[in-house]
Amino acid sequence: MELIKLSDHLWEIPRQGAMLVPGRVYASARMIEELRDDPALTQVANVACLPGIVGYSLAMPDIHWGYGFPIGGVAAVDAEEGVISPGGVGYDINCGVRLARTNLQFAEVEQKIPRLIDTLFARIPAGVGSEGAIPGLGEQELRKVVTEGAQWALRNGYATQRDLEHTEEGGRLAGADPNRISDRAYKRGSRQIGTLGSGNHFLELSRVDQIYDRRLADALGLDIGLVTILIHSGSRGLGHQTCDDYLKLVESAMARYEIRLPDRQLAAAPILSPEGQAYLGAMAAAANFAWCNRQVMMHLAERAFLEALSVSPRDLGFALVYDVCHNIAKFEEHVVDGRKRRVCVHRKGATRAFGPGHPALPEALRPHGQPVLIPGDMGRYSFVLVGLETAMRETFGSSCHGAGRVMSRSKAKSEARGRDLYAELKSMGVTVRAHTRSGVAEEMPSAYKDVAEVVQVMEAAGVTRCVARLKPFAVIKG
Amino acid sequence: MPSRGEPGSEHEPLFREFEHTGDIGIELEAPDRNELFRRAAIAIAALLVERSGVAAAEEREVAVKAASDEDMMHDLLEDLLALFLVDGFIWSDASAQARDDGSLRVTLRGERFDPERHEFRGEIKAVTYHQLSVRQSAEGWKARVILDV
Repeated sequence: MELIKLSDHLWEIPRQGAMLVPGRVYASARMIEELRDDPALTQVANVACLPGIVGYSLAMPDIHWGYGFPIGGVAAVDAEEGVISPGGVGYDINCGVRLARTNLQFAEVEQKIPRLIDTLFARIPAGVGSEGAIPGLGEQELRKVVTEGAQWALRNGYATQRDLEHTEEGGRLAGADPNRISDRAYKRGSRQIGTLGSGNHFLELSRVDQIYDRRLADALGLDIGLVTILIHSGSRGLGHQTCDDYLKLVESAMARYEIRLPDRQLAAAPILSPEGQAYLGAMAAAANFAWCNRQVMMHLAERAFLEALSVSPRDLGFALVYDVCHNIAKFEEHVVDGRKRRVCVHRKGATRAFGPGHPALPEALRPHGQPVLIPGDMGRYSFVLVGLETAMRETFGSSCHGAGRVMSRSKAKSEARGRDLYAELKSMGVTVRAHTRSGVAEEMPSAYKDVAEVVQVMEAAGVTRCVARLKPFAVIKG
Repeated sequence: MPSRGEPGSEHEPLFREFEHTGDIGIELEAPDRNELFRRAAIAIAALLVERSGVAAAEEREVAVKAASDEDMMHDLLEDLLALFLVDGFIWSDASAQARDDGSLRVTLRGERFDPERHEFRGEIKAVTYHQLSVRQSAEGWKARVILDV
């Protein structure tokens, strides 16, 4: 793949063949050498063929090979002339991360970690074969969930108004259409509100161990030693089924709209077509399910803290820092070629990272930029960043979303054979509980890139600024 | 490359896992088309639940109709995933009968999933179209499927 170096952290794939725009990849020189022959770069070029794409087909430094779109891909298409691609959002619609902080210092909970993690493990199920975290919901109630998102959680005592203010889109994406969700998707989601899932989903207890920007850390309520909780999950079976339902529908419509793309999984339909509108209504509905799911999980986690540590809510001081989604398509205004345009931004394994002053941010956070939550592997660290003005100019207000894998799941399992990963992680200061036997092996720290390198590229590019580093001390894997 | 075998047939693996960065890729080989779909049906169950503990106590049938063998493989595995996730049914054996009109009927032998007795191995989110292939060769039939986990 031909790559032109634009700076130490930005590379361009020149326009060629059916590409409508060039590709741009954020990566260090070391990362780009590893990526040079990776199929993920071909996927960046394939995405550049989407009708209506504007600017660049972008890749963040945690890029890896996905389905159709690369993971870590960002593509903005014209809101009227462009196409919507279910594969550009992914199976786990509104997979995302939320971070809550407490008033507790790590030293106050250190002796109680086993009790705390066991209580959390019991309260927050993985979601298959287990009783749901909250009573199962019938289709009628689920239709309200997918319409209202985190507001459903507020109405039912699982959220506060402040939680919603600290959630991207207020925890409710406009345009959700409950009639666009299939019966099978409703059935798959019926017992899954408040459940973690498996794969790379997790709940992590961490302590703040580095502050990079004191002013921003104060604004987000983070300080050295404070205990935090990070939850990574999404729209569960309801979202997975929705993606599958619409991949099929959209693919079947492509010939009618004379759309030809180099990869079946990249299937797309015009945004204004009946199929495109149907998917957007369903996607927003699944996104709302995900926000409700993460909100309920956080509420259950707060209850687990109160129960396990026997502290008052006031002393615990549990508060949502922010909730981001990193698999989504959203209508936003961006300046393209010097002109403000309404575009649909696909973020597949990429996080919105709006800069300071953006009207979409809640008043309390607006002066500082949007918090961007970047989980690493379960042994090392995760990062809290904020979006900068450069993100608005260069990346459609987007940044990276995680570490990115370096090892396949089967390779990780093979590397883990004969090793006691629980003991290894314990020696790193991390207590682990897992709902499945293979979960820990597949997700072991060495299966991932060093997330510090990923966030450093985005900082060097001026897209996001590091605020704090979180060091895990207890992890629940799905 | 790890492989999973048929009980009592250690020389003929049921399927092989191949490297895919984030997810699970499986390769299947069979002497004929029906056997390929049969193995695929057992493979997805084996990835969801430890197969040795599943009794063949009752039968369920799944029927799909598709325009191509790739679509048939995708739709079959999606329907089977839903059978597990929605109906809570898990199976240890299967038989498959494909017809010339593009339809496929698969009979599954298993029981109700019981988390107390069965070992759940991990969620499968979806069956992808990514590099999905079903092909006939001189040696028989082959398929490659990537599952999003």
